[in-house]
Amino acid sequence: MIEVRRPGLQSTVQDTGRRARALGVPGGGAADLTALRLANALVGNPPRAAALEITLAGPTLLFQADALVALCGAPFEATLDGQPFPLWRAVPVRKGQVLRVGGTARGARAVLAVRGGLKGQAAFGSLSTDLRSGFGGMEGRALRVGDRLTWSFLPPAAPPRAFLSPDLQTPTGPQVTLRVLLTPEATPDLLAVLTRPFTVSGQADRMGVRLSETLPTRHDPGRVSLPNVPGAVQLPPDGRPILLLPDAGTHGGYPTPLVVTSADLPILGQLRPGDRVRWQAVSGEAARAALGQQEGRLRQAEAALRWWYAGPGSRARLPHDGPGQSVEQWASAGRDPRPGQGGSHEPAEPDASPPPA
Amino acid sequence: MTGADITPLGDAALVVRSPLARELLADLTARPLSGVREAVPALDVLTVLYDPLTTSAEDLGAGLTARLADLQPARAGDASTHVLPVTFGGPDLAWCAAHAGLSVTDFVRAMCEANLTVAFLGFTPGFAFLTGLPKPLRMPRLDAPRERVPAGSVALGGPWAGVYPRETPGGWRIVGRTEAVLFNLQRPEPLLWRAGDRVRFEVQR
Repeated sequence: MIEVRRPGLQSTVQDTGRRARALGVPGGGAADLTALRLANALVGNPPRAAALEITLAGPTLLFQADALVALCGAPFEATLDGQPFPLWRAVPVRKGQVLRVGGTARGARAVLAVRGGLKGQAAFGSLSTDLRSGFGGMEGRALRVGDRLTWSFLPPAAPPRAFLSPDLQTPTGPQVTLRVLLTPEATPDLLAVLTRPFTVSGQADRMGVRLSETLPTRHDPGRVSLPNVPGAVQLPPDGRPILLLPDAGTHGGYPTPLVVTSADLPILGQLRPGDRVRWQAVSGEAARAALGQQEGRLRQAEAALRWWYAGPGSRARLPHDGPGQSVEQWASAGRDPRPGQGGSHEPAEPDASPPPA
Repeated sequence: MTGADITPLGDAALVVRSPLARELLADLTARPLSGVREAVPALDVLTVLYDPLTTSAEDLGAGLTARLADLQPARAGDASTHVLPVTFGGPDLAWCAAHAGLSVTDFVRAMCEANLTVAFLGFTPGFAFLTGLPKPLRMPRLDAPRERVPAGSVALGGPWAGVYPRETPGGWRIVGRTEAVLFNLQRPEPLLWRAGDRVRFEVQR
């Protein structure tokens, strides 16, 4: 069990979301799904397991039991009993230790996965917290002081000492480029101003991120409400774009001239007020190639970590088994991108058993 | 592709415009197409969200076109009818009556005589877009949405009537309030209604 000493700005239980849009229920799920998947993989969880999503200022958590955890996402400062706590690694936490997650200079969100996966209240097939509707996760709300988080049992396992390649990480500001696809509602005057950078305003939450500058829009009071998709860029009558995040309503009546590519959706979950956004219009083919490449890297890391957790018996049977093919090299760039944290620049050895021979 | 109007919306969704949109949704639910994550209805529209790594816009579009070619319009036989008791008297009631050129009494009577249908669900859990308003009852939306519309508000916006299941922002004109519970996760069927159901308002007594 984890006892919440300080809840942080907005810490919510999230998994990969729900599929009940036909009932008017938003998709939900972690705003940076890449961070969720990698955090889960690092502790040997299934990709859909629920974890804690942390926003801008993190929580202070007292562990009442031993656990294996991983913190992935924006470069939050974190300490375990006052010692620096590394991101992008599986870290054993002992009963009685206090994990304190502070702030982050870049990006907005991180995901804390616990081996076994957090428990929570399910709604429409997902444990994700929907703050607006008030269901899922921890009573449909963000964490409060005194809350107790529990997780499902998985047999204890030695953590892989893998450093995930930094190219797997979702880009964070202050400058980001979003690849977008045009819709039939994109007008020539809109395309002409897409070369300008835009600024993320203070209106940024799990429903959407509002930009400060305006795009040309044609207000059509007669436009019927149509289903929204993740990453849709809506233009309300004032022209200030709204980029839709996982908790956005399922339908909307505003023109939607642009849709952020699937590959770049996790970036939306890392936008914070003040970040500068540039647009890059791409073809459907380019969007699919980018997603395929990104997904390939993610699945390779997930497969390597799954292989590690499957245990020595399973590892010995894998065809790629052999010298020079340790899990660390599969999943990693072979070096620690954060000097002073973890301290190791040589390829790491597994903790519990020798590398497969 | 012939007959169907299918356009991409980003790299992971297709918008299908067809009078058979509701039938297509039922068909996809019964016989899923490879790569489809979910399908979301609107009025004569079905937006199909798919996994771009499993299928392509071209293949899925062809699959959907083939499905549409085989579909027949469904009969509206087994739809439920919901009668919602409403306390008329919202902040926009007088404005709406004047806009319709009716007295408040006649406006309320016209509201209760309207035979409405749940066109689709969306916006927020439990919210239904109700179609079938006679022309005089169709109201322009507010220029600036209210930040808070109370739960249970009965409202008019464009061609639609609707009831806000819980407090949300909203840009429609509020003419009344109902105690009906539209959404409750404790019920076996959390939502009061489904697309195709009939709806009537009556004056709360």
